[in-house]
Amino acid sequence: MTSTKTDVVAEGLGAAKAPRLSVVGFLMALPPLLLVLFFVGLPVLIAFTFSLGFTTGPNRVLSMIGQEIHKKDQWWGTFSAYKDVIHDPRFAGDMRTTLAITFISTTLVLLMALGIGIYQRMIGGRLASVMTALTLVPLFVPVVIAAWAIHTFYAGDGFMRSFFSQFGIEFPTVTSTVSAIAIGTIWTSLPFAILMVTSGLQSIPDALIETAQDAGAGFIRIIRTVLIPLAITPIVIAGTFTAIGILGSFTIPLFLGPNQPTMLGVEISNFFGAYNRPQQSIVMAFIVFASASGIALIYIWANVRSAKQSGRI
Amino acid sequence: MLKKKYASVLVATALVALSLGASLPTTQAAIPAIQVYISGDTNVQDLWEKTLVPAFKLANPGYDVNVTLDLHGTHDAQETAKITAAFATRKDAGADLIDGGFVQQLGSAGLLFKGTTALIPNLSTVSRAVLTIGKGGIPYRASAVLLAYNSTNVKTPPKTLDELLVWVKAHPGKFTYNTPSGGGSGFAFVQTVIDKYLTNAERKTLVLGVNKDLQPKWKTGLETLRGLNAYTYGKNGTYPANNAETLKDIATGLVDMGTVWSDQFASAIKDGTMPANIKVTQIANPAFTGGAAYLGIPRTSKNYKAAQVLANWVLSPAGQNLIVAGTMNGMPVIPVSMLDPKIAQGLSTVDVTNLRAPYFSANGNDLKSAWALAVPGK
Amino acid sequence: MAKREKSRAKSSSPVVKALLGIFMLAMAFFILGPLLWLAIHAFVTNWTYPNLYPDGWTWHWWTQIFANSALEESIRNSLIISPIVVVLSMIICLPAAYAAGRMNYVGRKTFLIGLFAANSFPKIGLFASIATLYYALNLMGTIVGVIIIQLLGTIIYMTWIPAAAFASVPRNLEEAARDAGASKFRVFRTITLRMAMPGILVAIVMSFLASFDEAQGTYLVGAPAIYTMPTEMYALVENYPIQIAAVFSLLLAFPSVLLIGLARKHIVGGQLAEGFQIK
Repeated sequence: MTSTKTDVVAEGLGAAKAPRLSVVGFLMALPPLLLVLFFVGLPVLIAFTFSLGFTTGPNRVLSMIGQEIHKKDQWWGTFSAYKDVIHDPRFAGDMRTTLAITFISTTLVLLMALGIGIYQRMIGGRLASVMTALTLVPLFVPVVIAAWAIHTFYAGDGFMRSFFSQFGIEFPTVTSTVSAIAIGTIWTSLPFAILMVTSGLQSIPDALIETAQDAGAGFIRIIRTVLIPLAITPIVIAGTFTAIGILGSFTIPLFLGPNQPTMLGVEISNFFGAYNRPQQSIVMAFIVFASASGIALIYIWANVRSAKQSGRI
Repeated sequence: MLKKKYASVLVATALVALSLGASLPTTQAAIPAIQVYISGDTNVQDLWEKTLVPAFKLANPGYDVNVTLDLHGTHDAQETAKITAAFATRKDAGADLIDGGFVQQLGSAGLLFKGTTALIPNLSTVSRAVLTIGKGGIPYRASAVLLAYNSTNVKTPPKTLDELLVWVKAHPGKFTYNTPSGGGSGFAFVQTVIDKYLTNAERKTLVLGVNKDLQPKWKTGLETLRGLNAYTYGKNGTYPANNAETLKDIATGLVDMGTVWSDQFASAIKDGTMPANIKVTQIANPAFTGGAAYLGIPRTSKNYKAAQVLANWVLSPAGQNLIVAGTMNGMPVIPVSMLDPKIAQGLSTVDVTNLRAPYFSANGNDLKSAWALAVPGK
Repeated sequence: MAKREKSRAKSSSPVVKALLGIFMLAMAFFILGPLLWLAIHAFVTNWTYPNLYPDGWTWHWWTQIFANSALEESIRNSLIISPIVVVLSMIICLPAAYAAGRMNYVGRKTFLIGLFAANSFPKIGLFASIATLYYALNLMGTIVGVIIIQLLGTIIYMTWIPAAAFASVPRNLEEAARDAGASKFRVFRTITLRMAMPGILVAIVMSFLASFDEAQGTYLVGAPAIYTMPTEMYALVENYPIQIAAVFSLLLAFPSVLLIGLARKHIVGGQLAEGFQIK
């Protein structure tokens, strides 16, 4: 019985559950989909036509106030705004920073979440419980406050530098560097990842771990062959959500990062507001959007693949 | 409070369903409250709520004013989108009089009632140059960017831009200005350094309208600014995000010198967030920019007639006296000779028409972008 | 339970324990350090670098905050709107989550990715088109409009997480209960729903916070009629000295500690503990 349960856990969201297609299921899935299609999908579609140079109809609004607006020269539009963005010297640096931060922070967040989750699952005790509760604290701290807290902690006159200067050590000013963005994004993403990973690890039956132990498997081996494979779905969801959240982050890089290069979230806002170039700003928004969809696709693809390999499809 | 709003929403929805576009019949006075929307600091809110509005209501019985503040212009992008969308869909955006940095942008897009003497008679006393820059906005007060310095550490502050640039290089890490896109005080420093390499005629052209041809001449100025990266606070070319952060860096003693808005500095001194040993001074050749703050009456406003009365009153000697006498040390936009002589004492040296104006908003946006490309982190 | 204690004790060697202990201490410092440093600033007049002690102590910043009356109403608005959003989100999304987790239908994967993608689109690019749409629908400045814009941000949590939870409920447990003669509804209530509950709870917490923290869209739709806590607070924090932000973080820490306490009681209490433990 236990093994059947874990099979289903491992199967996750990617695999088809029932052999036949369900009409009821389709209808049940409709309400949120329609809501999103109408209130997000429609504006996104309108914004897309604007990025291609359709400046009339619903896009008249932005065309009235924006600078450097390209109007379509073909029936399908123009790529001029896209060319503007790609040729902007800022873009390459921003894109690199965004992807690097997303990758590094997501990896570290997952490692930390696994560390805490495994500690709680395998060793447990009062300390582990206190720690898990403690790591949830950032969940309840609004991002802007978190950004300020981290800003002052690592700033030129912050705690780290004050503390180390007592021993004559010159601790570097982390605030306003790319590292500070990484620290901030990890700090804010940690609780969700820990929630997902811990709940995944907790749902693994004791019997499985005991069986492995009885068969002589060591600590590391149990983690590698039992814990991680069985909790892979929540781990991957945690990773996907974290990565997509970091990809579009705005407040953290604004407060903690350098002026240039910065993350695309900040640059989108700069282009929209300060430079008043809404068309180019929307093009960047689509680039973030495409990257996020890419991550979601990788997730689904990985799930389907693992389901196929284990012969369930 | 919320229940009431909820109920009114339901009532409103029902009414709309019954009769398209019907509005609630009012039992109150004929003139609805004028909705004033401020995008700025609390000192601007105080100016309206505590000083201007009570006096206006006293002088004009029957009018009511409701002030909304968006601190620091955090939501300028939303408000601009909202007013433009309201115009496109022929709705009322809920603001009758706007006091904020994006007024000129709305004006250039044709979303404001043009500020002319026909609509607002008192505009006849305001200098033509200030009006032209407004692009339909109504100038109503002025402030300047000044050099703030820590008088404990700096005994003789620089008097000209050249002296300031020398000082910055002689005292590494002790000067800062915020990113020009983050706030006007940093923008003023950037524009002033750029202007050093431009002729008077070129400066004027950039103030009065869109001009792309002169932008290549910014190069020398931007190179000078990039040369300061190694000497400003945050040595690898990092700059504070906004006006508030510059003020904070000066107040906590992280830096000895920085550029600040005269009105924000005056308010910070009053709040006690700025220590008394910080002083301000203006430099010369060229001076830091300053300029008028503009009001705008959106064409979406249904209550625009009342807003015009309010704007006209603010430009009267009575309104201007209050702006000058208040805690923000505001400067008048009408000739000093029209003010109460007691209040005008000591003001004779400051004349809004002599303030160096910031670039026209489209050029300014391009300069912000050019600075971000050429200076930080390089 | 006793069985679990046994399996735990066996798996820990002293070296591993010590390493994990160091890891935990570092985590505590990483998470709490900045918050504590900020919190102390709430009572401080000024702090000169590089002293480890502040220049002086004061209550000044607290009186400044409490003088702001708009804040109280905005917090009340937030506390009323967010629960409504969460309940609506549950009504709309949980059936869809069940379908996505347990049934197969046309476009199922597209459905999941579509929701995900919509959530990840940077909102700032959409201000103008959303404003136009809301004006056209007469939703601007209304509670309904604010609820809808916050609801959109919760959908992703309320579909994906419960979908995974429903998917992981073992089928044979349900079948066994059916064989024992339980009705379909009873099986759903006592087995499926109960086993998926930890995931649903996480989704509720995340949705509540997503709605509670939503600032940009709420401002676009709500202002100036409806302000919520973040729209009011973000500007205050950005514009005042660091001490004011410190006072805010302490004020917010209070309900947060309460929330954690409550969540812990509900999540740990009873049968749910097996699937989801925060002790």
